[in-house]
Amino acid sequence: MDPMEEIKATFFQECDELLADLESGLLEMEAGATDPETVNAVFRAVHSVKGGAGAFGLDTLVRFAHVFETTLDAVRNQTLEADAAVVRVMLRSADRLSDHITAAKAGEDLGEEGDQALIQELQAFLGDVEDDTAGDDMPDFGFKPMLISLGDDPAPLELAPVANGPWEIILRPQAALYRNGNDPAVLLRELAMLGQTTVTLDDSGVPDLNDLDAQGAYLCWTVSMPGTVEEDRIREVFEFADFDCDLTIRRSAGEGANEIVEAPLPVLAVEEAPAVPEPLADAPVEGEAFSLDAILAMARDAAAATELTGDVPAPQADVSDVSQAPAPQGSAVEASPPASAPPRAASEASTGSSATPTQQTIRVDLDRVDRLIDLVGELVINQAMLAQKVLEEGAAPSGSVALGLDDLEQLTREIQDSVMAIRAQPVKSVFQRMPRLVREVAGMTGKSVRLVTEGENTEVDKTVIERLSDPLTHMIRNAIDHGLETPEQRREAGKPEEGTIRLAALHRSGRIVIEISDDGKGIDRTRVKAIAVERGLIDADATLTDEEIDNLIFAPGFSTASTISDISGRGVGMDVVKRSIQALGGRITITSTPGKGSLFTLSLPLTLAVLDGMVVTVGDQTLVVPITVIVETLQPKASDIRGLGPEGTVLAVRGSHVPMVDVGQALKFPSQGNARAGVTLLVESELGGLIALRVDAIQGQRQVVIKSLEQNYRQVSGIAAATILGDGRVALILDVDGLVATRRPAVAPQQPLAQAS
Amino acid sequence: MPAGSDIRALIVDDQQTIRSLVRAGLKDIGIHNIEDAVDGEDALRVLLSARINLIISDFNMPKLDGLGLLRAVRMTPQLKSTGFIMLTGRADTELVQRAQQFGVNNYLVKPFTVATLRAKIEEVYGAIT
Repeated sequence: MDPMEEIKATFFQECDELLADLESGLLEMEAGATDPETVNAVFRAVHSVKGGAGAFGLDTLVRFAHVFETTLDAVRNQTLEADAAVVRVMLRSADRLSDHITAAKAGEDLGEEGDQALIQELQAFLGDVEDDTAGDDMPDFGFKPMLISLGDDPAPLELAPVANGPWEIILRPQAALYRNGNDPAVLLRELAMLGQTTVTLDDSGVPDLNDLDAQGAYLCWTVSMPGTVEEDRIREVFEFADFDCDLTIRRSAGEGANEIVEAPLPVLAVEEAPAVPEPLADAPVEGEAFSLDAILAMARDAAAATELTGDVPAPQADVSDVSQAPAPQGSAVEASPPASAPPRAASEASTGSSATPTQQTIRVDLDRVDRLIDLVGELVINQAMLAQKVLEEGAAPSGSVALGLDDLEQLTREIQDSVMAIRAQPVKSVFQRMPRLVREVAGMTGKSVRLVTEGENTEVDKTVIERLSDPLTHMIRNAIDHGLETPEQRREAGKPEEGTIRLAALHRSGRIVIEISDDGKGIDRTRVKAIAVERGLIDADATLTDEEIDNLIFAPGFSTASTISDISGRGVGMDVVKRSIQALGGRITITSTPGKGSLFTLSLPLTLAVLDGMVVTVGDQTLVVPITVIVETLQPKASDIRGLGPEGTVLAVRGSHVPMVDVGQALKFPSQGNARAGVTLLVESELGGLIALRVDAIQGQRQVVIKSLEQNYRQVSGIAAATILGDGRVALILDVDGLVATRRPAVAPQQPLAQAS
Repeated sequence: MPAGSDIRALIVDDQQTIRSLVRAGLKDIGIHNIEDAVDGEDALRVLLSARINLIISDFNMPKLDGLGLLRAVRMTPQLKSTGFIMLTGRADTELVQRAQQFGVNNYLVKPFTVATLRAKIEEVYGAIT
């Protein structure tokens, strides 16, 4: 790829993140956040978009971003208050900016006409501030570049040279040390094992024999050791003794070199604003030690001083500030054990504690992660095969080989979980797109809507997230368009004019649950039923429970909108939503209370790469049925199985009849003996109706790694995918809905509601 | 007259795009010893471990901004004579004036061309061969 194109791709990728930051920052401001950090983050997002866009000649975008940025700058400088009206315009500006970027990605230009209204609104907030967009170049203000010669090459910095001087260890045992059975001689001997020691005994504390307490402690040892010995090793020696003694461990080279970090930071001899960096420092360099901490503390101080005051602070005053800056904690070596972390750890700790700790991340090609997941899948299978082989060869289950394999299994599982976690992402990325959608739909329908999101950090596989976007979009549109009433209707119903849409994500028993609820009018069951009759989905005299009526909205081709609006409708109904959720291995349910609102609940697997399955035998084949569809397993009596029509069979389950499918027959396996024997799995099919699947036997339950059949062979109806079992054989994973569909003419399970009449 | 290979540059910007752009520009000029940092703190970490003689830094960054970094560099004897070019948005006169008072060597307005980048570096170091 052309390097410029590559950078451009990076830019667009970065834009997506920046836009997300922008929107979430603005939403925080809408909720009342006024702290400089939030405002600055919002400003920086727009500024960065603008900065990058300029490099690629996206002029329209830059001009718009500039106006936006100028207004944000006014908020940042507190010359403009970010009240509700301002933030609203900014949110719309963020949407517009996003549109510009989307267009730019496609190589298009939205043009400036669409920007004018917003630009005017943004500028209106600023009052009479002059527009400086015109000046392309910096006005001449007498800046003179400063020459530097490369001969002044800075000497390389030694990081923390403090760590080199010889050690001085002062050990003054307390009486408790002797009482607890410790012996200083042992400690000294252990020290001697770490390196050359010189021990001096200070017995000046020993009293006259008459005053001597036989159990008292009067001695003090001073040990010198080479500085090359690691501090941790020395501390280890005293691990069990240091509560019972006064222990000092320090570097003793020169004049207390260990205190160098605590010494005043290098002070600049700055008289005036410096013209050249050269005359800055006459600070003693010899033997001077620098720690990142010290410099950071100084830098932060300087940053704070320059940021908070609008004017350039007088360097003199600042320098004195800096020299008084407290030495960072933890860098002094002479300290009690808990504070004795090595310099590097200390500096990291201090970084971590700064105002907004950002997690370190790396960008990795998704292909690489997927390859890793594939390999781990293979590893899991291989491990299972190995375990089975070992058992078959007759190794003792408690023997070392079998136990080793158990450990291996544990490790493989952990690797698998960790690798899956790499693909896991917070649902935030999808949730973040919804506020804009809500704003737009609310605008189009003239409704007043508030979106509440919860559990944005709930994690789920990236593929699941990507494929959640469309169904969620559609459901939220529906909720606003059909669920919520107009402000007038709401007022009449005694509700607040502003409707609430709640979008929540949570983990529940190994799955992710997403709830979309509204406080609207709920499902109008009379109308739903009337439409279903009109569409021929149910008989006019059918008796349906409320739940069954609610579920009618998932029926193919069902749409309750009396006019096909721009927003929802257009033939894409809840059936499509339901199907896409099911394609992800998920389920969708609805509960609705008239006058109070509706709640849609989606339940989805956390990953699409593995599946919890019931391993069953059908004929001479081993099949896997996804656990999630199984409601119940039972061993029916022959008398419970009845024929229905020429080919159909039904199973009587607690008084009601459930269509029955013989899996072997449906998949055209060679017929095996008695069709009425075996086990029956009660499964839930597409429309929520129950189906009984007859199999020969159940082998057990296990997690299987899904291998696409389509990629490796071709699509087979009734089969969702394949997996490899512990013994190395391939097993097919059943697609229950597909299987039922192939048998539809015989069992006709598609419209159980219609049958109910 | 320094050669491009004499210059060891550190690019400091929280934006990957800008870092990549500056890096590409520097390579065009013949400067290939290039380190990256995402903010001022990160930059100091790099400065303490690598021999850098030219810093090209953005101004507005989280944690420690460009001005803070500049001051830290100028206050640290071993780093004080490192060349420092500040990246700025257009027409940010006030910022450049402040940076000047803290001893910045030059400034570079975004967006920039390779020719401008080269000119700004040469104004500090003399013509690059």
